[in-house]
Amino acid sequence: MDTSQYAELFLTESREHVSSINHWLLELERGTGGDEPVSAVFRAVHTIKGMSATMGYALVAELSHEIESMLDRVRAGSLVIDANVMDLLFRGADVLERAIEAAVAGKERDISADELLAALRTAALVKQAPRASAPLLVATPATTSADGEAWTVAAPIGAGLLVRIRLAKETPLRGVRAFLVVQAAKRLGEVTATEPTLSALQGDDFAHDFALRLVTSAPIAEIEGLLKGAGDVVAVHVGEDASSLGNSSAIALPQLGAANSADAAMRTSGFLTAAEVGKAEQQAADDPALRQQRHVRIDLRRLDALMNLIGELVIARGRLQSIAGTLGDAPLQETMTLASRLIGDLRDEIMSSRMVPVWQVFDRFPRLVRDAARSLGKQVDFTIEGKEIELDRSMLDEIGEPIVHLLRNAVDHGIEGPEARAATGKPAAGRLRLSALRDRSAVVIRVSDDGKGIDRQRVLTKAKASGLVDATRTDLTDEELVRLISRSGFSTADAVTGISGRGVGVDAVFSRVRSLGGAVDIKTSPGQGTTVTMRLPLTLAILRALLAQVDDEIYAIPLTHVSETVELHADVQRTLKGREVLLLRDDVLPLLRLRTLVGLPPQPVDSERLEQVVIVEVADRRAGLVVDDLIGQQEIVVKQYDAVRDAASVFSGATILGDGNPALILDVSSLPT
Amino acid sequence: MSHTVLICDDAIFMRTMVGDILTQAGFEIVGEAETGLQAVEKYKLLRPDLVTMDIVMPDMGGIDAVREITKFDPQARVLMCSAMGQQALVVEAIQAGAKDFVVKPFQPSRVLEAVQRVLG
Repeated sequence: MDTSQYAELFLTESREHVSSINHWLLELERGTGGDEPVSAVFRAVHTIKGMSATMGYALVAELSHEIESMLDRVRAGSLVIDANVMDLLFRGADVLERAIEAAVAGKERDISADELLAALRTAALVKQAPRASAPLLVATPATTSADGEAWTVAAPIGAGLLVRIRLAKETPLRGVRAFLVVQAAKRLGEVTATEPTLSALQGDDFAHDFALRLVTSAPIAEIEGLLKGAGDVVAVHVGEDASSLGNSSAIALPQLGAANSADAAMRTSGFLTAAEVGKAEQQAADDPALRQQRHVRIDLRRLDALMNLIGELVIARGRLQSIAGTLGDAPLQETMTLASRLIGDLRDEIMSSRMVPVWQVFDRFPRLVRDAARSLGKQVDFTIEGKEIELDRSMLDEIGEPIVHLLRNAVDHGIEGPEARAATGKPAAGRLRLSALRDRSAVVIRVSDDGKGIDRQRVLTKAKASGLVDATRTDLTDEELVRLISRSGFSTADAVTGISGRGVGVDAVFSRVRSLGGAVDIKTSPGQGTTVTMRLPLTLAILRALLAQVDDEIYAIPLTHVSETVELHADVQRTLKGREVLLLRDDVLPLLRLRTLVGLPPQPVDSERLEQVVIVEVADRRAGLVVDDLIGQQEIVVKQYDAVRDAASVFSGATILGDGNPALILDVSSLPT
Repeated sequence: MSHTVLICDDAIFMRTMVGDILTQAGFEIVGEAETGLQAVEKYKLLRPDLVTMDIVMPDMGGIDAVREITKFDPQARVLMCSAMGQQALVVEAIQAGAKDFVVKPFQPSRVLEAVQRVLG
């Protein structure tokens, strides 16, 4: 079978499962959630195993098989979760993830997993031996059932948990009763084998006990409870027999040889065959809850192409509207209005089809924070809020890296070690919070910690050394602090720690967010912690902007950053410490002139016409931006241009207006407020 | 409120006996059927919590009746009443949607256990 056409689907689904594995491993490590973490990881690994075996990805299949075997032992109680087991599981998840990516790229051979595979097998073998000194959680050897009777049938050969069942002596139609028990087991998962065979069972061809293999994610207590409730069942035992451990492990845990022979081995050793996978999928399709979600996976490039096209269409609409406006033809106007609305609806649909919940990227952060904290010997209580908030797919991909940077920074430089925290009366575990929330036409992403805050003195010293501030200064204002650390190449880190401080500072975050049309704000207070707020437009490609005019030039100001507009009357204008300010109700805002910012000469005073002020806001800071005139709101399609990379630029991009003329898009976050 | 039961059996004797066992245990017998067809019709009319179903009945057998009832109401709880030596038929009935079975001759305790399992 040619499976290449399913590779993309395999990759997407497997990534989701790996993400879920990491999530539940963290839960498992935390010791919360009872049996569910192990079951959930088991389910995900099991699914990956089935899919990869079908795809012929031998290494992925082998890895998932070994991890699954290990989890099987945990569930059967013959393997106790400790730090080593957790480490092995985490490492397993990492290598599995790499193997999946490599397999799809046709580079499975590049992944060396021998060491890990050996470790997985060894751990399982060592822990399997009955340990008299550690009775806790270790399965009681069971060749006899609880009522002291010997089991009479052999353990069936197949994948999954061994389940032994004994029926009452006087059971009428015990073959039918056994059938009912098997039916009940099937409600929990897949019965891969029975001993004796199903037909022998139905023909009453057994004494009083029988056995089956069950692939399930259900906890043991649930299996026992359900099967005992099937009637006439006097004993149920879940788990391998003590006496046959070596024997059955050879069956359940095949020592797969060279990777290229593993595929064949899998199909004869309890791995799901393609047909079985198909059956499982059929069952999934029959499940009404699953059936309701009908999805078609679309190549992201198609969505990008659609987005570009609709962008062009929006520009063309702008032109058409202005032409129709000048012609003054009523039927044309009417048709134009209709077409305009349809184009708007189309744009909304395409945009919403690109929106994905942020958890698709956020879900890998708990693992990252855990690893960073562990390697630094710190304790971090990490929480994520607003996982379901949606963002444009491309935007989400772009913002992942800056968030990673901020989280690592917080763990490395923000949150103190347990002793230092105890000394200042803080709880041993530092609090780190990542939150997403929707605010009008923007998404606000915030990373906040309760650590020691940014070291002002160090920033000051560094800034003096670099000649960025006057050498006589003894302190920095909040604004100065933020502006300094957002400068390219400005980092106070003394040593490269492997966690952060690889020469990229907060400036990398600033420039990335700016290039996305967003803004960054930092609040930090000594001993209290640091909060970084990123405000992002919902999408990269199209945004609503306020068009403003200075002389003959038109500039676009993204509405994400506009709170209101006012006229510049003399009575709201003051000069404070040599700077122009605007009185806006109870606030005093700095006043900036766009004319000056773009290097145009000052305008001669014209008492006839009032200038307009656009109140722009970045995070919590606001300023008044003076322009000659306001033209109106319009949707603009962002075109990147190279000058954006220039640090001095106050523009983030350009757009083409309805009349075909270009306009620069103002980068509000770079304004010298 | 007590559970409602529809008893389906072509023998009055069996209906009476099952009825007595269940009535004494506090169940409310809301109907009886002598054939599979009647069983299906009365089920639709009465919507009982539980159906006891004989396998061999005139017009329409118990297994077909289970199939029809389950088609009408997938949540229907049907307890098969079988005689010894009907293994294959009982398996078929379970595959058709029956939840459990009891074997004649009836012992009240066994019938009630099975009823509890089906209702549980």
